[in-house]
Amino acid sequence: MNIQEIYQKNKKNIFFSENKDIQIHREKLINVFITDRFDKKSNESLKNINLKNFFDFKYKYLLPEETSVINNNQDSSYSIVSVNGQCASFKDDKIEITKISDKDYNDFSKNNTIEKNDHFVNLNSLFLNSGFKIIIKKNNNIKIKISNIVTDDDLTIFQKNNFICEEGSSLSLIEEYENKNNSTSNILNVIKLEKKSSLNHFLIQDNSSNHNLVITSHSSCKKESFYNQRVYNFSDGYVRNFHFSELLEINSEADLQGIFFLKDNNTSNNKTFVKHFAEDCKSNQVYKGILKDRAKATYFSNTHVDQVAQKTEGYQLSKGILLSDNASYFSKPELKIYADDVKCSHGSTIGPIDENAIFYLRSRGMSKNAATKILISSFINEELSSIDDEQMSELIQKKLIRYLSKVK
Amino acid sequence: MNTETLDKLDSYSKNKYKYGFVTDIDSDKPKKGLNEETIKFISTKKNEPEWMLDWRLNSFSKWKKIKEPKWSNLNFPKIDYQDIYYYSAPKGFEKKPKDLSEVDPKLIETYNKLGIPLEEQKVLAGVAVDVVFDSVSVATTYKGQLEKLGIIFCSISEAIQKHPELVKKYLGSVIPPGDHSFSALNSAVFTDGSFVYIPENVKCPMELSTYFRINSENTGQFERTLIIADKGSYVSYLEGCTAPKRDENQLHAANVELIALEDAEIKYSTVQNWYPGDEEGKGGIYNFVTKRGLCAGNNSKISWTQVETGSAITWKYPSCILKGDNSIGEFYSVAITNNYQQADTGTKMTHIGKNTKSKIISKGISLGKSQNTYRGEVSFLRKADKARNYTQCDSLLVGNKCGAHTVPYIESKNNSAVIEHEASTSKINEDQLYYCRQRGLSHEEAVSLIVNGFCKQVLQELPMEFAVEAQKLVSISLEGSVG
Repeated sequence: MNIQEIYQKNKKNIFFSENKDIQIHREKLINVFITDRFDKKSNESLKNINLKNFFDFKYKYLLPEETSVINNNQDSSYSIVSVNGQCASFKDDKIEITKISDKDYNDFSKNNTIEKNDHFVNLNSLFLNSGFKIIIKKNNNIKIKISNIVTDDDLTIFQKNNFICEEGSSLSLIEEYENKNNSTSNILNVIKLEKKSSLNHFLIQDNSSNHNLVITSHSSCKKESFYNQRVYNFSDGYVRNFHFSELLEINSEADLQGIFFLKDNNTSNNKTFVKHFAEDCKSNQVYKGILKDRAKATYFSNTHVDQVAQKTEGYQLSKGILLSDNASYFSKPELKIYADDVKCSHGSTIGPIDENAIFYLRSRGMSKNAATKILISSFINEELSSIDDEQMSELIQKKLIRYLSKVK
Repeated sequence: MNTETLDKLDSYSKNKYKYGFVTDIDSDKPKKGLNEETIKFISTKKNEPEWMLDWRLNSFSKWKKIKEPKWSNLNFPKIDYQDIYYYSAPKGFEKKPKDLSEVDPKLIETYNKLGIPLEEQKVLAGVAVDVVFDSVSVATTYKGQLEKLGIIFCSISEAIQKHPELVKKYLGSVIPPGDHSFSALNSAVFTDGSFVYIPENVKCPMELSTYFRINSENTGQFERTLIIADKGSYVSYLEGCTAPKRDENQLHAANVELIALEDAEIKYSTVQNWYPGDEEGKGGIYNFVTKRGLCAGNNSKISWTQVETGSAITWKYPSCILKGDNSIGEFYSVAITNNYQQADTGTKMTHIGKNTKSKIISKGISLGKSQNTYRGEVSFLRKADKARNYTQCDSLLVGNKCGAHTVPYIESKNNSAVIEHEASTSKINEDQLYYCRQRGLSHEEAVSLIVNGFCKQVLQELPMEFAVEAQKLVSISLEGSVG
């Protein structure tokens, strides 16, 4: 079945299919799918992906029976359980949660200038069936934890979330993805940071091998705002992390970092892209990966500096450790610079664990296995020790120990 | 930057191309356009055997099926392949002159203007020069000395006549004609170029050098260079280019193939200073070059060094296929773009054998409204145990209308291989400028010192004979700001 047929058949269950504007937009998208035959060779973002899983699928969506829960905890933090991408509406003097509206949809589809030909985002727009919008009100300091739960097997979730941090607000957002059923989630986060706001965004991904997760985020930063993202990928299933950031006004900053631990036949595709459109902005993109068995990973990073964006600082770093002969890692750190007063750099390394370091540890009586584990932990120590939240730090340590127990 | 600096930079970027002159020599041309007839014309003119003509026609049929590569970061109007002359040789060269006195004096004058040591200087410089002037070799020097050692250094057309077994065996073995559009085009219509064969265990005693020059209007130059270094041999080859000033774009699609057998070493150095177009970006050479070296044997080494200052469009990726165990590939590059020049250059290192090593040092300098891109690929295949790569690419931006881009592709499929890649982009460091000026250097000298330091790592890789010329070219491209 091709995309068009799947769409026509399930039109009823898809959001906003009555809206004329959106209909026209979707027809255009379908056209792209029909004419573009996913030429893998010319589209490197599709590297290592089994296209059949994503573009020739059975559409299935169920509205959850159990409603989502929003708790306003005592320590002024909120915990949200989002079921199949749905979240109940909620409102108090600090935050407001609503369903995603057709206006939000249009807003994104019209202003998406970063990457127009992202097939997964287009798929998300076509089959949108869930999503919510969270507004953090002015000058509030808030902590939110969202657990994303998928209830049944074979579900295809296409979810679009909007996060808006109003002026002067600060949000610490922890998102958990831990699913064990055989389904696919395609999630798009649209993040807007107003003046002087900040967002610390943590994504913890730990799905079983039959669950596919595609996460894309588009964040835009206004004056003096700060977007900080940390991705921890422990999944056994396929994960795609594509994160785009636009620095629109002076003194804004984006920090996109991630670590991934892959094993068996797993693959993961990662991309970060920061566009500098204003003076005095900073960006940082760091991804580290550990691959064992037959795991494959790609990481594309890109810094684009516009002509007006003088005094830019943009850094990229990509590091990969291959623990097995059959693992492979592909990285492409790109710089596109049109302004002259900038400091931009990238570094990229791929290799095995340092043999001298192993020798050092073994000469002090450690087994090879223990030495390897210590060196892997130290490889990502910087990322782990920078986590302020104790609870989260513990959680990630646990997951790391689980991964290390399988390292021989 | 203060206004004084800006003014100065402005005046430097207006520097005119010094080597823009045209020598009037009657040219012998076929009709314009690319078709089988043209190819047959070229082949007959060159007295080629039938197998060569078949090879050309076969390449032509491949070219018709392949589209031009689109991935580069370059902007240029579509090339009209039917509006180009594919062959041009100065008249009266069908019978080759025996010595220089028989050569058209105007030609000699042209070379003298460029400072090419063809007459007395050639003895002093100790360089054997095989000059290509509009496609046909004019004179070959030092042949005797090289012949004694068994080294073959001649034009490729001569090699086709005299050493068909070597040409048949190696031509197209590193760059197959069907590799991409420009290699197919070159294979179909190449007119001349150099052929070098170094026999077993021979160290070539001098730097071999060829000057290519484009002279006739609308003549694409399609050189084909083939260098074979047999077991245990060594050769250093120099290639330099300057072209007269022209208004229309000239297409240039050369193919260079290097083959290094066991324990052999090839060093290939290029200084490229073709006409880059005027201040408005009008004219200039389109330079689409395919250079590829194959380290076929164990312990072999291929080293590319290039200084790219000319051409309106540069599309060039000298690469190494490291097939033999312990083989080494090196790439050193300085690319300077000014005005509306565009350069998309870099390298490709493919590690196949065990313990293979590669090193990439690339320096890009953009001025005016130019775009300078480094594009490189390093890949470790599954069997490349203990392979090692180090890449460093730095860009320097002068002015806020130019662009510098870095697009590296890095792939590893072997867990004992180590890749390191570093890149940085910045403008000329104000602190360094201040420091130099404080010690009494003028702004000009200071910038010169800093840029020289920036490029030094690459320039020092050039052979002595070339280093002087390279520095001259760098200073022409950046004149004033370099010194």
